[in-house]
Amino acid sequence: MKIAVIGKGGVGKTMTTGTIARLMARQGLDVIALDCDSNPNLGLSLGLSVEETERLAAVRQALDAEEVEHAPSAPEILGRFGAWAPDRVRLAVVTKIDHFNPGCP
Amino acid sequence: MRLAVVGKGGTGKSVICGTLARVLARRGHRVLALDVDTMPGLALSLGLALDAADDAGLPEDLGERHEERGWVLKEGVDVAELVARHAIPAPDGVRFLQLGKLPGRVKPGSTTAFRAVLEEFRAEGWTLVADLAAGTRQPFFGWSDFAEVVLIIVEPTAKAMLSARRLAKLANERKTDEGETRQPSLVGFVANKLSSEKDLQRIERALAGRLLPLLAELPYDEQLAAAERLGRAPIDVAPDAPAVVAIRELVARLEQRTATKGIHEGHEVHED
Repeated sequence: MKIAVIGKGGVGKTMTTGTIARLMARQGLDVIALDCDSNPNLGLSLGLSVEETERLAAVRQALDAEEVEHAPSAPEILGRFGAWAPDRVRLAVVTKIDHFNPGCP
Repeated sequence: MRLAVVGKGGTGKSVICGTLARVLARRGHRVLALDVDTMPGLALSLGLALDAADDAGLPEDLGERHEERGWVLKEGVDVAELVARHAIPAPDGVRFLQLGKLPGRVKPGSTTAFRAVLEEFRAEGWTLVADLAAGTRQPFFGWSDFAEVVLIIVEPTAKAMLSARRLAKLANERKTDEGETRQPSLVGFVANKLSSEKDLQRIERALAGRLLPLLAELPYDEQLAAAERLGRAPIDVAPDAPAVVAIRELVARLEQRTATKGIHEGHEVHED
């Protein structure tokens, strides 16, 4: 199953996503939670600390700053840009952060 | 005064921005309110109907792509004239332009061209108030360049405080980034939706070390929340609500800190 969660800022996307992921993991599913927000906060709603959430953002930023090479496969992306959250949910930050895309308001 | 409002989604950017614009206008500023959020919401907080945002865009053909400078306004297109023609009137004489993407109406050319000239618009005697997109992606990469005041809105939730810290970091980094972009003269936090002294302490703790001032403390305000539910401007339906009063005080403080006053010669205040 692949689920995407969208909506206006502040309506509860991240909180809903994090809770769905945890509940599904408790049902016995292998859950991968992807944070596709350029301001990634999903770690907090999954039960990770602020420090761990920031660490993941920093790992991803090192890639955007071209300090490191991109991971060449999906499992490696989950490994390098990810962390284990409670209930064995695997979280990965998979979007560019703090990046201005010219032409986009 | 040229002011940009940033912060995590849902912290109250639009409602604060809209109320700031109205208060500034009542104090005699000639206000241009800009919604550059991809999810338009400023129109409602200004006291306009939602469909007003549909008519408040800029025509696609006013911009053109320049080889070296990127999107620019076509030659002969005057910014002041553009505002006079295309910004729509809101209560208290505020003029409103919608520059974010509307569903089905993507206007990258005109929008980017206008962003590029916002900087020059300072000479025209306008007070600019811009509601920027949520999150950290957009604000410090082009859209806030025009701003001399940047307000980072933060509510007492872990996510909003984390976002505010990231935004503050970007603002502080810009201070050392000479030549690249114009540095705003004032960047500060506005704490919103405070229910208790503990909420304030939580925010102060989370933002300690960011070296930016806390410019206002807005209480959690049921009257403001009710206005939001109805899609009305708080200054119209709850002018004496505690949060609106606090925003008025914030405006006075901003005028003081930027040494600007709202009395412009020849400015006609529209009474709606």
